[in-house]
Amino acid sequence: MIATLGYAAVITALFAAGSVAFLGARSAMKREPANLALPVAVLAGASLASFVLLEIAILSHDFTVLYVANNTATTTPLIFLFAGGWAALEGSIVLWGLLLAAFIFIVSRTSSGKDTLGTAALAVMAAVAVFWFGLMATVANPFAVCTDVTNGVCSASSWWPLADAVAPLQGRGPNPLLQNHILMAIHPPLLYVGYVGLTVPFGFAMGALWLKQTGRTWLDRTHRWTLISWVFLTFGIILGAWWSYEVLGWGGYWAWDPVENAALLPWIAATAFLHSAIVQRRRGMLQSWNFMLVIATFSLTLLGTFLTRSGVIASVHSFTQSAVGPAILMFLAVVVVASLALFAVRAPDIAQAPRLDSLVSREGFILANNLLLTVFGFTVLFGTMYPLIVEAISGDEVAVGRPFFDRAAVPIALLLLLTIGLGAVSPWRVAAPSLLWRRLRWPIAIGLVAGALTVLAGVDEVGVVVTIVLGAFVISSLSLRYIEVVSARPEPLFAAMAKVGKGDPGYWGGQVSHIGIALMAIALATTSGLAVREVVSVDVGGTAHAAGYCIEYVRSFEEVQRHRTVSGVVINMLDQSCSDVRATLRPSVNTYPGASQPIGTPDVWTSFSEDVYVGIAGGGADQILLNVFVFPFQWLLWLGGIVVVAGGVIAYWRKPSRRREASEQVTAADKEASDE
Amino acid sequence: MSDRLKSTLAIAIGAFALVVMVVGLASTGSSDPTSEDRVAALSVSIKCPFCNGESLADSASGVAADYRALIAVRVAEGATDDEILDEFAANFGDSFILDTSTSGWSVVLWLAPVAMLAVGIIAIVALRRSTVKRTGVEP
Repeated sequence: MIATLGYAAVITALFAAGSVAFLGARSAMKREPANLALPVAVLAGASLASFVLLEIAILSHDFTVLYVANNTATTTPLIFLFAGGWAALEGSIVLWGLLLAAFIFIVSRTSSGKDTLGTAALAVMAAVAVFWFGLMATVANPFAVCTDVTNGVCSASSWWPLADAVAPLQGRGPNPLLQNHILMAIHPPLLYVGYVGLTVPFGFAMGALWLKQTGRTWLDRTHRWTLISWVFLTFGIILGAWWSYEVLGWGGYWAWDPVENAALLPWIAATAFLHSAIVQRRRGMLQSWNFMLVIATFSLTLLGTFLTRSGVIASVHSFTQSAVGPAILMFLAVVVVASLALFAVRAPDIAQAPRLDSLVSREGFILANNLLLTVFGFTVLFGTMYPLIVEAISGDEVAVGRPFFDRAAVPIALLLLLTIGLGAVSPWRVAAPSLLWRRLRWPIAIGLVAGALTVLAGVDEVGVVVTIVLGAFVISSLSLRYIEVVSARPEPLFAAMAKVGKGDPGYWGGQVSHIGIALMAIALATTSGLAVREVVSVDVGGTAHAAGYCIEYVRSFEEVQRHRTVSGVVINMLDQSCSDVRATLRPSVNTYPGASQPIGTPDVWTSFSEDVYVGIAGGGADQILLNVFVFPFQWLLWLGGIVVVAGGVIAYWRKPSRRREASEQVTAADKEASDE
Repeated sequence: MSDRLKSTLAIAIGAFALVVMVVGLASTGSSDPTSEDRVAALSVSIKCPFCNGESLADSASGVAADYRALIAVRVAEGATDDEILDEFAANFGDSFILDTSTSGWSVVLWLAPVAMLAVGIIAIVALRRSTVKRTGVEP
């Protein structure tokens, strides 16, 4: 019953998306007013229905639905049951469709029928939705039913929801890794919002090319969308790193795994786009480059989805192999070819008046930032795809891993930090050397002093010292600039502080994000360059020394929960002399029924100067083998991430008045172009 | 404080800090990596067999833990990093060595980003040149 209703909702959404795409394209082409309210409402309603019905099927344990039987169980805790709605392949596409439909709905609310650019953008976005709902209707049907049960598992299924369905007594339950930590329920949807949100600037860019409105209108109208998608993408990636740190037990948060790269690539492209869009808005440069970047960003979200869904690259994050992979690859090819072709056809219409008055200027440094981000993105993309390319050409199997990515990323990241510190305090057009020196002399001194203090504190890793010099330079350069602007105002201190921030939230929000990036860079350096890793064996009731601590193995424990068995040990962390208990940790190994491998779960003690990260490496009840890792200033990484996200949120409140004008009336140049 | 005095002070503080930093870094020299450091570094450079493409360091699986223990044993026995990498390459194949800096194919991998950077720099310089040519202004 639920399967039939759910499939009907998918088909309804598919047709509604098709109608929006067709009607929108027709009106945009004829430049006639469009009335898309009805099909858009149907699309939104039907996609919501498909999501809700899938959740009902999961929460009511309707194991006749194949997806429910394969990915959830009656013993699954409620939160992971709910997250089961998007934790596996078909469900993730349902959530994807829902988010895209929601964005189409919101965009349709902000554009009137007479607004041809908005209509064209809706048509493009709806065409993308046709693909996703088409996937659900065919190869990734979330409402396929189970038609035969062997040994308690579904052995045959039918995509046709009215087929005779049978239900296994118990579902298989989710992948143990996915139900070991609450973050796994939060991190993927955040990434999806970011991924799907990037469809909006793509839709507007394609609409603008199509209608020859290649001025800045499309940028003005999508700036907030890009920013909000970027904020979600950033937050999603950081939470993913945190999950990896808390759950995977190796003490790391980034492994340059292909699927991690797949999330990073659109982030890099979107970051470059956010910056280059500012240059076009302020200086009328980079029109073509912005179209290229938005095409690249959207294509990279599809590539990322393909890498995650197809299983073409072996990765911990991948779902199982299915026909979904080739379908997404085909769609990616269509998107890339069609959008580049449209861009090529319209290239003569794109106004070209680049005027770079000086390399030493805000736009000069943003150009440098874009170049570095492009090289960074290209390096990550090339490194990720390289094994596939080499294997296709020569048949040789090669592997590209952390050694390559770390070595390539570090110099690029350090140069990026430098451009942040220089660019953010440079004026547009030309930065006079005397002005730049006045703004940078103290930041340079502060950066060097921070480096000297680091060395005096006993750090001898050159990479860590250089990162701290640049990080302190960036943070002090931006902070001193703020203090300078605030103190130049006549109001009392706090009023002036608020006034400056409110005066240009776009700029100051960006600077807050930059400070967050600098904090993250410092934390990346300290946690990788200064980490201590030791393995120690302790008898029950006894103590041992490791990583500057005295470690006491108090007792072992076992806790049987509904969906898993937790076997752990109680560990006291004492000071060197074994007299003072600083913290008590409970690392464990969790066993899930039906899973071949137990999942180690570390426990972490965070103090101001370091994280002590303890996991079980082996041993038994009498003698335990522990991994004891120390990561200096690990918390700075998470704090920096939050600061980056907060900066994005501040920038969101940028000048509402000017934007409203822009969205309601097409700028004069665009009007002329489209009236031709 | 006059502007000139501020500049002088900033230069003096910066230069002093730079000297402290350089002398400090030069005098400590690079300390020899501990056995644990070497095991950690080697684990990053070797792909875990049967672990979905993760390195030995990144995998939470028991197999990876066993191989990490094996590396620790070889390090304790006095094997060099290259010897250990060679042993893994001999047992599992070159594609299990993630440190690509030495294989022949990796030249392309390393040159591609550098080429990209060069193209970008040329494009930006060309943009600047064309501005000068068009406007005739040399600021």
